[in-house]
Amino acid sequence: MKPDMRQKLAREPFAEKIRKVAQLIQLAKAFPRRPRRQLDNGNSR
Amino acid sequence: MANAQPSNNLPLAGVFAAANRLVESGLIVDWALGGALAAIYYVEPFTTYDADIFFIPRDQSLAAGIPSIFSCLQKEGWQVEGEHLVLHGFPVQFLAAAGLTEEAVREAESIDFEGTPAKVFRAEFIIAIAASLGRMKDKVRIQQLLTQAEVDKSYLADLLRRHKLELPML
Repeated sequence: MKPDMRQKLAREPFAEKIRKVAQLIQLAKAFPRRPRRQLDNGNSR
Repeated sequence: MANAQPSNNLPLAGVFAAANRLVESGLIVDWALGGALAAIYYVEPFTTYDADIFFIPRDQSLAAGIPSIFSCLQKEGWQVEGEHLVLHGFPVQFLAAAGLTEEAVREAESIDFEGTPAKVFRAEFIIAIAASLGRMKDKVRIQQLLTQAEVDKSYLADLLRRHKLELPML
C-alpha cells in the first residue's frame, strides 16, 4: 500500500479504525494462514 | 449478560466503561489503553486479537488486586480464558502498571470513545515501551508511529533518556 494511503487510514476516526480491526479479525478467522510446511508440500506435488 | 451476544464490532466502549467502573468502585486508581489498540489510535488499523488495559493498582501487594478485578468483572458476565478476561468474545488483558507503564497511564491522552470516557497511551510512550521490549513487532510498531503519527520528538527524547532507552535500528 502506498504511504499516502496508509497516512489517510491513520487519520481516520478511532471508532472507524476499530470497526476495520474487527473486519480484519473476521477475515483472519475465515481465511487462516496455512503453515508454510503445508504450502511447501502443496507446491511440491 | 456481558457475553450474551457476539458482535461484528469490537466491544471497546464496554471495555472502557468496565474499566471506569473499576476506578469508581475503588479497585484501581487509574487506567489507560496500551498495546496494539493504543497504537491503532495513531496509525493505520491492523489485526490484533486482544486489548491491553494498563492500570495503576490500589492494592500494592504482589497480586495488584487482579483477583478482585477478575471477580468483579466475572460477576458482570465476563468470562475467563487463561490470563484474559473476555467480553463478547473479545479478550482483554488487565496489566498492572509500574515504572514506564505507570507513567504512561498518568500521562495518557483522555478521549471520548462513542460516548464513553477513556484514556489512551501517548504515541511517545508506545514508542518507548516498544523500544524497551525490542521484539520484531515492536520495531514495526515504532516504524509505523514515527512515519504515521504526530510524535513530539523532544518529549520522546526526554522520555527515552530518563528511562535509559534507545530506539532500535530500523
